[in-house]
Amino acid sequence: MLGAAMLLFWLPLVGAGATDKPTQESVPLGEPPPGLALFRWQWHEVEAPYLVALWILVASLAKIVFHLSRKVTSLVPESCLLILLGLVLGGIVLAVAKKAEYQLEPGTFFLFLLPPIVLDSGYFMPSRLFFDNLGAILTYAVVGTLWNAFTTGVALWGLQQAGLVAPRVQAGLLDFLLFGSLISAVDPVAVLAVFEEVHVNETLFIIVFGESLLNDAVTVVLYKVCNSFVEMGSANVQATDYLKGIASLFVVSLGGAAVGLVFAFLLALTTRFTKRVRIIEPLLVFLLAYAAYLTAEMASLSAILAVTMCGLGCKKYVEANISHKSRTAVKYTMKTLASCAETVIFMLLGISAVDSSKWAWDSGLVLGTLFFILFFRALGVVLQTWVLNQFRLVPLDKIDQVVMSYGGLRGAVAFALVILLDRTKVPAKDYFVATTIVVVFFTVIVQGLTIKPLVKWLRVKRSDHHKPTLNQELHEHTFDHILAAVEDVVGHHGYHYWRDRWEQFDKKYLSQLLMRRSAYRIRDQIWDVYYRLNIRDAISFVDQGGHVLSSTGLTLPSMPSRNSVAETSVTNLLRESGSGACLDLQVIDTVRSGRDREDAVMHHLLCGGLYKPRRRYKASCGRHFISEDAQERQDKEVFQQNMKRRLESFKSTKHNICFTKSKPRPRKTGHKKKDGVANPEATNGKPPRDLGFQDTGAVILTVESEEEEESDSSETEKEDDEGIIFVARATSEVLQEGKVSGSLEVCPSPRIIPPSPTCAEKELPWKSGQGDLAVYVSSETTKIVPVDMQTGWNQSISSLESLASPPCTQPPTLTRLPPHPLGMEETQVPLDMSSDPRSSFAFPPSLAKAGRSRSESSADIPQQQELQPLMGHKDHTHLSPGTANSHWCIQFNRGGRL
Amino acid sequence: MGNKQTVFTHEQLEEYQVGVGVSPELAQLVWDAGSQESPQSLVCDIRLSVWVWSDWRGKRRDNPEASWFLSPQDCTFFTRKEIMRLFYRYQDLAPQLVPLDYTTCPEVKVPYELISSMPELKDNPFRQRIAQVFSQDGDGHMTLENFLDMFSVMSEMAPRDLKAYYAFKIYDFNNDDYICAWDLEQTVTRLTRGELSAEEVTLVCEKVLDEADSDHDGRLSLEDFQNMILRAPDFLSTFHIRI
Repeated sequence: MLGAAMLLFWLPLVGAGATDKPTQESVPLGEPPPGLALFRWQWHEVEAPYLVALWILVASLAKIVFHLSRKVTSLVPESCLLILLGLVLGGIVLAVAKKAEYQLEPGTFFLFLLPPIVLDSGYFMPSRLFFDNLGAILTYAVVGTLWNAFTTGVALWGLQQAGLVAPRVQAGLLDFLLFGSLISAVDPVAVLAVFEEVHVNETLFIIVFGESLLNDAVTVVLYKVCNSFVEMGSANVQATDYLKGIASLFVVSLGGAAVGLVFAFLLALTTRFTKRVRIIEPLLVFLLAYAAYLTAEMASLSAILAVTMCGLGCKKYVEANISHKSRTAVKYTMKTLASCAETVIFMLLGISAVDSSKWAWDSGLVLGTLFFILFFRALGVVLQTWVLNQFRLVPLDKIDQVVMSYGGLRGAVAFALVILLDRTKVPAKDYFVATTIVVVFFTVIVQGLTIKPLVKWLRVKRSDHHKPTLNQELHEHTFDHILAAVEDVVGHHGYHYWRDRWEQFDKKYLSQLLMRRSAYRIRDQIWDVYYRLNIRDAISFVDQGGHVLSSTGLTLPSMPSRNSVAETSVTNLLRESGSGACLDLQVIDTVRSGRDREDAVMHHLLCGGLYKPRRRYKASCGRHFISEDAQERQDKEVFQQNMKRRLESFKSTKHNICFTKSKPRPRKTGHKKKDGVANPEATNGKPPRDLGFQDTGAVILTVESEEEEESDSSETEKEDDEGIIFVARATSEVLQEGKVSGSLEVCPSPRIIPPSPTCAEKELPWKSGQGDLAVYVSSETTKIVPVDMQTGWNQSISSLESLASPPCTQPPTLTRLPPHPLGMEETQVPLDMSSDPRSSFAFPPSLAKAGRSRSESSADIPQQQELQPLMGHKDHTHLSPGTANSHWCIQFNRGGRL
Repeated sequence: MGNKQTVFTHEQLEEYQVGVGVSPELAQLVWDAGSQESPQSLVCDIRLSVWVWSDWRGKRRDNPEASWFLSPQDCTFFTRKEIMRLFYRYQDLAPQLVPLDYTTCPEVKVPYELISSMPELKDNPFRQRIAQVFSQDGDGHMTLENFLDMFSVMSEMAPRDLKAYYAFKIYDFNNDDYICAWDLEQTVTRLTRGELSAEEVTLVCEKVLDEADSDHDGRLSLEDFQNMILRAPDFLSTFHIRI
């Protein structure tokens, strides 16, 4: 592996070294004709990107090599290994090219390598933990960094005055302060790289890491102020300049944060409208975050702060808005970029150190700096912690302080800043560079190597990776409320008070503005956790060899469809536009019916998928049982329990299913189908359940009212329904279709005559023939199976659909039945429509399914409509849906009998 | 508040004030002594001591002579200054009801309506529950002692078990000393402000019960609750406020 890496590494070198050779080589191929060359070597055209790509490749390969040995990586942090690799590579480059080639350029570092890392850390920052400890983080970041910078600078100056630094280091107090300012900041990249492997407890980590992120503003300001002071010359600095320096601290930090928040707002707002262009969602996240970084950099504000705030601010809304797939894409891309940038940074850091032309050694300075940064860091931490502990609810103990002092790693930011110094203005630059390199190497390698044993030895409270439980989420919320309430009562405006205020503001305005209505609705954290837990169970089930599709469908709660219901719900729009009370009732009911519908779907899924895979699963379980560890078994148990319970709940709500299945779904469905066919992914955004209570209302109205109205509405509906293909139809229907359409020539389009199962059959589809189940399941589940699981599903469906669709070249329609009673139960054939041609409008395909019962009960429609608002209301108000819906079931049975 | 006068007699204040950090164990010791039992029979079950602690005031009321020892500490974990501040706040809740002069031990209760009508509390889903749990009759009307109690539980000095016990009580809507599915449904409904349907709430509650119910009796005892809450690090430790 290493050999391969080396080989790849040589390539650009050879290429670079032999840049003019290729032209010589290519010429002999076609000497006289300059026109057509068979083979041309164009190294120069691709040089820059090629090198970049190769560097990244080398770094990645190196990573692979490191991780081949578990022992090495468990002892040595990756950053150390990368720096060492960089040193080796740099040595080779130096030996081959006779000059140091590749450096960590400050421009590259700040513009390309740093942003991904910061964005990643900001975006995935545990925001609650961060804000809980914000006070401590800010103190360490601002006061701590200022303290470190000034004390280190002054102490070094004192060292020089004491004659311990060689006189050839020409630097005054200001130079040392400048150096102190750049060397004092804890580096986020280094901290992240080391602490991620150490696994200290979350509070400790967030404090050190948060400090390293937020101190950027201070570092930038100090560095710039000192730099300009040095350039002006200490004699020209006036009192106002100091004031300006202090003011700029606020401008830079607050400005950076503001830029970040503005972009976070923009980002959240943009993702609200990407429903139809899901594919660019991840791109938007990266673009706008990067734009925030560049904007802040352009305005010489704190860019790190900007990106951190952008990531931190937008996450909640973006995550709610973008699709599941996009979320995964964002996550992986971000992690990949960050890890890649980190790797390259450390490697380049190693390589840069080889270039001896840039640095000059002075033992006094180097040793002094090392001692001072460690000493003042420790002192600063102890002092600040003492002050902070007066205010903190959970005080930081001594061990925490030791780790915090020791974890103050310096890294590439310091190096990049020191490279940026102007040699003409800062004569001691070379010494500073050398010192910085030593400090960085010392902190990353020595401290990075020792911090793990230290943490172990001190028995620092580690972070235990317990999975988030629903209880925790629940209690967290409850306690928040309780504490806020108690604070309110005492009239003490503390932390909980403000958090409560903020949450209310967020809920009332911000979320409304920045989240999709649907996302906003489902944005309930408790439900969210529940959902995730279920997914976890599902995945663990799948891992055990269960049937992928069925299991996901099973364990999924109705979350995705909750999402989609609201997303496309026309009724919601109508509700917004202030429709009447009756409508409202129906709207409310829509949600219910949607749920029920989905339950029905789940139910079918259950019958289609559950039993078989369970059998299969049992078999596989028998095979692998011994190899399973306790965790897996536990997961399995949880899952089985879940399944059992859910199965029961489905059974208990079977009446709902019966009811909802019989609901007509005009209009919407055509739309839905189109989307579904054109873009299977879009099904995620499309409702698997019906939204059309409005539509139901319309149909109802027509039946109830005059003939003209009916014809009108039916015509419009016909138009609407044009181009409908059957989404879901029992295969048996397809088979029957031919016969039926033949027998009913009057009908303009083939009618679907469902085999009309009994009510019980509809409720309990396993009682009916097995044939139609497959299609039922396949077509509908696509919408509830999570997107990333859909591929396999879709494949299986497409085969089924190809079976199902050919017979209906013409949009299959279902004839509307006239409102007179028919004794259809035995014949299963709806009324002949010749008597009333107007009413032969098309039912949506979903109705084909639903129509089984509808056709039977159509006689009962008027009655049903009268009841509907009432029933809807009842349904909604009823706490137990089963009882309310059983009315419906009865209703239907009656209709059927008529 | 400068010119408010004669709020408490010195003894009364002593009564409310605590030697900071009086533990439930000590309270139990006191109680044991007061009820003429041997102090050696101090049961080390923390849970029991919490119970005793919470019953302490009741016992004292019923049995005045039991309080001869250690001039009944109410185990509020507050200093005199904090008690005074809390008293002023209490008085502010209902200036017309609560007298400034407490020397005569007036039987004053601030009605729940006054507390719940505070604008800050308007959106808080647990305001009623908190008032109920901490008021002595469970009706939400709070006496000064209840009021002090409430903050005492939230104070940093209060032991974890005490906090857990009160958190448990807040969850236990029907006061049957178990958190059952119905209790949880109440909680979840309040937390989600009715955004989940009944079914979803049920699903969530089942899951919650499932997670924490170690003895599989379908409801959470105080023990279950404590186990579950103590599993999460720094969880209860954040369950306090600084006054």
